[in-house]
Amino acid sequence: MAAFARFLALRFAAAMATMLLVSLIVFSLMELVPGNCAERYIAYKATQGFVVTDADIRAEEVRMGLDRPYLVRWIDWITGVFFRFELGESCLWRVDVGQLIGDKLLISLALAGGALVLTYLVSVPVGIASAALRGGWLDGGLRILSYLGLALPNFLLALAIMLASTIWFGDTLTGLFSEEFRNAPWSWARFADFLSNAWLPILILGWSAMAIQIQTVRALMSDEQGKLYVTAARARGLSGWRLLMRYPARHALGPVVNSVGFDLNRIFNDLPIVAAVLILTEAGALLLEALARSNDQQLAGAIILSMTLAIVALNFVTDVILAVIDPRIRKGFFA
Amino acid sequence: MSLIDRIRPHRRDRTGRSREDYYTASQGQLVWQRFRANRTARAALYVLVFFVLCGIFAPFLSPHDPTAAGRNADYTNGAPQIPQFCDATGCSLRPFIHGVERHRGADTNFRWVTRATDERNYVTFLPRGYEYRLLGVIPMDRHLFGVETGFIHIFGTDAQGKDIFSRTMHAIGVSLAVGSAGVLISFGLALVIGGVAGYFGGWIDTVLQALMDTVKTVPTIPLFMAVAAFIPDTWTAEQRFFFISLVLGLLGWGTLARRIRTHVLAERTADYVLAARMSGAGPGHVIRRHLLPSFTSYIIVDLVISFPYMVLAETSLSFIGLGLKDPVNSLGVMLQNVTRVDVLLNYHWYFIPVPIFVAIVLAFVFVGDGLRDAADPYAEKR
Repeated sequence: MAAFARFLALRFAAAMATMLLVSLIVFSLMELVPGNCAERYIAYKATQGFVVTDADIRAEEVRMGLDRPYLVRWIDWITGVFFRFELGESCLWRVDVGQLIGDKLLISLALAGGALVLTYLVSVPVGIASAALRGGWLDGGLRILSYLGLALPNFLLALAIMLASTIWFGDTLTGLFSEEFRNAPWSWARFADFLSNAWLPILILGWSAMAIQIQTVRALMSDEQGKLYVTAARARGLSGWRLLMRYPARHALGPVVNSVGFDLNRIFNDLPIVAAVLILTEAGALLLEALARSNDQQLAGAIILSMTLAIVALNFVTDVILAVIDPRIRKGFFA
Repeated sequence: MSLIDRIRPHRRDRTGRSREDYYTASQGQLVWQRFRANRTARAALYVLVFFVLCGIFAPFLSPHDPTAAGRNADYTNGAPQIPQFCDATGCSLRPFIHGVERHRGADTNFRWVTRATDERNYVTFLPRGYEYRLLGVIPMDRHLFGVETGFIHIFGTDAQGKDIFSRTMHAIGVSLAVGSAGVLISFGLALVIGGVAGYFGGWIDTVLQALMDTVKTVPTIPLFMAVAAFIPDTWTAEQRFFFISLVLGLLGWGTLARRIRTHVLAERTADYVLAARMSGAGPGHVIRRHLLPSFTSYIIVDLVISFPYMVLAETSLSFIGLGLKDPVNSLGVMLQNVTRVDVLLNYHWYFIPVPIFVAIVLAFVFVGDGLRDAADPYAEKR
């Protein structure tokens, strides 16, 4: 038990260290882009008809604390995020970033989570079946499909589906909510509406992760199937799915559990672009807007940091789960 | 029968060559032989070479200037014009297209429409067209094909009347160039960081590994977007091009660096490295002259494999308007406006470049896979 606690603490410290490093990188990038928050805000005010002088910019910098050294500001930002759960103030809108992105970030996470679940629901059984039927037409077809998963990026798939659906059904399948629910408060009806629209983005987001994961599961299973313990089990009279699930699958799926975090990374990669194609104003499009249109570095940094936090947290959880379900490691902890 | 013969009996039998050829072959020859035996990979290589040539000779292949300078104002959003041999008035041996005219009248509700005329416009080969520099140096004005008068658009035109075929050819070149530049930059970084981490080990390795892991954890496209969004609008197309390549390279080195680190770590305790060090070679010399050549083939394979990701990242960035911009053509730039409903409904030829790019990426993936299998000539074929 003590060993397990030590493992947990070490793994947690490692995750924290990663987050610190990520925050430093993100902060530095936001620092490197031309112009700072004060200049941007003042420039915005200038477009609204206010007369602005250099002295105003300096005063605004002092007010925002931008005159302090770089490292001090980083520490300030990062302690705010970790201990007070404050992501800082948006450059342009002057409201708390958390307030600005909260709902939309949750929807994004829900879409990404749905895509992740779909990926594993499909890729694990299909990958195992593909390895079991190695060389057959099903296997061949799946391999072509997974190569397409590499070559046909998600947004092109989204475009293809939109093209097909406008030609045949006259509907572009865009958006996340129907007209009447767009600005309504959350309710069961709105949730049901969300689900009826969300299947397409979830499918598209999961597409390339699914294709690659099928390939991985297939390769891992193929490696395990040739091993002696499988032959021994077969000699004892086991066969079919029972044999596959009891022996090789349990070995092969360990590395798959470990790769969940990277799949989430892949899905986050596609989120803003798929959101742009499918016009999901509620999700990743906010990121696109924060980054592309308004040049709001505070907001952009906060969004990237929260995405990375989700990935790091997932990596931490899967590592712990793997340690608990793998009897070789578990015995070491709870002997 | 010797042990080696038992390990590889087939190669000699099938090719019919003497076994000396096999044992004295250089590594490059072995890799090439194994690669050639893989039919999919070989076909993919031909496809790839074809498209690379398309990209390099894009100005020669395209009948019209792909920028706004070469636009056909009378044929905007025009459908593809496929050269034909026959029409209502009979057949000819020379392929031709029909001329188009702008028309407005009572029958069209007084709106301007473009319609085909019966007049034949014959396809010509090697006509004079807009001036360009082949390979960036040789001034030329000949093109592969054209028509006797006016324009030919075999892939149709876009909203401004620019020829989609010419744009596609140029886009292939641009995408390959961005990818190459990005891969080279990330390769340089990966080589230095991975090499140092693997060679020195200890705390340097720990710190650098933490860095690699972190770079791999951050979702790259949002990060690309964050950086690319701050490109000032005043930058020229060339500046944008180099900046995008730089960004792709600077953020894409994580995986490659880790592979190089693993290779170096495995090799650095080998006897030949010890011998070199005993002879007084410094770390830089050992890494460059002894360690790196020991896995050049793996590095090449990794580069080929990472190439399509660079191309796709550029496509995504340009697609959402953060990458390259109009006078420069890339697939992403060409797809910028296709999500509009009228395009989806009416102008399907906007999507012609998509299968071409899918083919290029697939070719890269297959060649990369083939090279990976071939790069280890002594391994048993799986």
